[in-house]
Amino acid sequence: MNPYLAGWRLGFLRTIRSPGDMSVRIGFFAIILVVMTALWTAAVDANGGSLHGYTRTSLLWYVFAAQTAVLGVRPRSVEEIGDEIGSGTVAVQMLRPVSVVGLRMSIDMGEACARLIASFTVGALLTWLFVGAPPSLPALGLTAPAVVLGCAANIASCHAFGGVAFWLLDAKASWFFFQKLVFLPGGMLIPLELLPRPLELISFALPFATMAYVPGRIAAGHPDPLLLLWQLGWLAVLLGMAGAVFAAGERRLQVMGG
Amino acid sequence: MIAIEARELRKTFPVRRGEPVEAVAGISFAVEAGERLAYIGPNGAGKSTSIKMLTGILHPTSGDAAVLGIVPWKKRRELAARIGTLFGQRSQLWYQLTPRQTFGLLGRIYRIPADEERRRLARLGELLDATQLFDQPVRGLSLGQRMRCELVASMLHAPEVLFLDEPTIGLDLVAKARFRDLIVRINEEQGTTILLTSHDVSDIEQVARRVIVINHGRLIYDDRVSVMRRALLGTKMLDVRFEQPPASVEVEGARLVKLSGAGAKLVVDTGRRPIRSVLDDLLDRYDVVDISVADPPLEEIVSHIYARPV
Repeated sequence: MNPYLAGWRLGFLRTIRSPGDMSVRIGFFAIILVVMTALWTAAVDANGGSLHGYTRTSLLWYVFAAQTAVLGVRPRSVEEIGDEIGSGTVAVQMLRPVSVVGLRMSIDMGEACARLIASFTVGALLTWLFVGAPPSLPALGLTAPAVVLGCAANIASCHAFGGVAFWLLDAKASWFFFQKLVFLPGGMLIPLELLPRPLELISFALPFATMAYVPGRIAAGHPDPLLLLWQLGWLAVLLGMAGAVFAAGERRLQVMGG
Repeated sequence: MIAIEARELRKTFPVRRGEPVEAVAGISFAVEAGERLAYIGPNGAGKSTSIKMLTGILHPTSGDAAVLGIVPWKKRRELAARIGTLFGQRSQLWYQLTPRQTFGLLGRIYRIPADEERRRLARLGELLDATQLFDQPVRGLSLGQRMRCELVASMLHAPEVLFLDEPTIGLDLVAKARFRDLIVRINEEQGTTILLTSHDVSDIEQVARRVIVINHGRLIYDDRVSVMRRALLGTKMLDVRFEQPPASVEVEGARLVKLSGAGAKLVVDTGRRPIRSVLDDLLDRYDVVDISVADPPLEEIVSHIYARPV
């Protein structure tokens, strides 16, 4: 087995062996869905039953998919990567004959896939229960790969943002910034079409939309394969960026003491 | 055959708004294949920085080095396939999983065929008496048990050189003794070159044949451990607790350095009188409740090295 595939498998196993952590996440996810159902129902009702073409049903399926994709990644991932660089843990990982960032991302992706399976299943059931069937069943089918690709783009970005710790010895500021980018221009809070026009245009030009908006848009009843291609394109760029940041960082690593 | 060679190796760390810190200040030495070398020094001496350069994690500010003929920082991944590392303060095992699952990942990383991996795990498990630990979650292992599994992880790909950075830190006395014995067995049975850093003097005496002492980033001593033992390890520290506070403690061959209530600290010159004889005398003449014997601290050895006539 390829070492990166073995890393993915290890991450997957590690997550399913921590059912407590997964249960807390799913519980939190269920609370978000309940709150969002109440909020968006009120907002859509106040706007005559539709918001920029999103009905109550499509909006809540959007929320389900966008949240599922983002919650697949560990919430403080960028900060943790920064801490591991600063503390010298990454230095020890460099003593393996494989790519440090490649192995880290494959392990993270294994963890994320375990979480995605659980949260996608539970989230879809709850959303169905709260607002009824999805606007399009083929769209729900296409949402699954979109959620996985969104998660992969998020993990690659986390490594690119966390990698600043090679220079700054810390990624707390970077994590704060990244979190906000996924939240708003990423479409985690609301669909990008609901943002003011200039912000909407900027958001569509950034990679963060592929992490939450694209899965949400597909789940809301737009099973457009071009959206997956858009994700794949940005994923390739983000993987390249994470690889470049780590390669440059490893060359200039400064770790004092044991 | 030379396994490790350092030539004028130097590492300076830049410090924001301050003078750069020179962690390693031009160190040169060579280690033969199959040697057991203790690379020691007080905290902050530059031991770990040296190891990080020799394993390719850090680029030196100047100087040169080769490990198994490879310049570490130029071909780090190529070298990583042929060396093993164990850092006492950094675990390479995943806490939520069993050691065997981590070994499985390491087997794939080092591209060890499955049959060969099973054979090596059985061999290492037997050698390190760790087979029964392989299927327990790492979070449930004691530090001593975990360190044995860490050593298996470091040895799984049959490295030619093993770098051990403070491997006995935090272990109790029994676990330390056992761990030292395991390192010696690995060296003798597999011919692995050992470079061990420690600030525990007992690690040096029981594991290494040769010792290099560094201080403030400079090499200050390089000789056989037997020579060092005669020249610099001629004393033992005794920490004694008596039933009643004695007025004084007088034992031939021992010098009282501190008397505080019922407790006393003595230094024994083992060249003048064997430690066993001093202990017998002490136990015969005084009502001793507790006693412990320790090596002199590394800082004392370093000051002895500086005090030697040139």
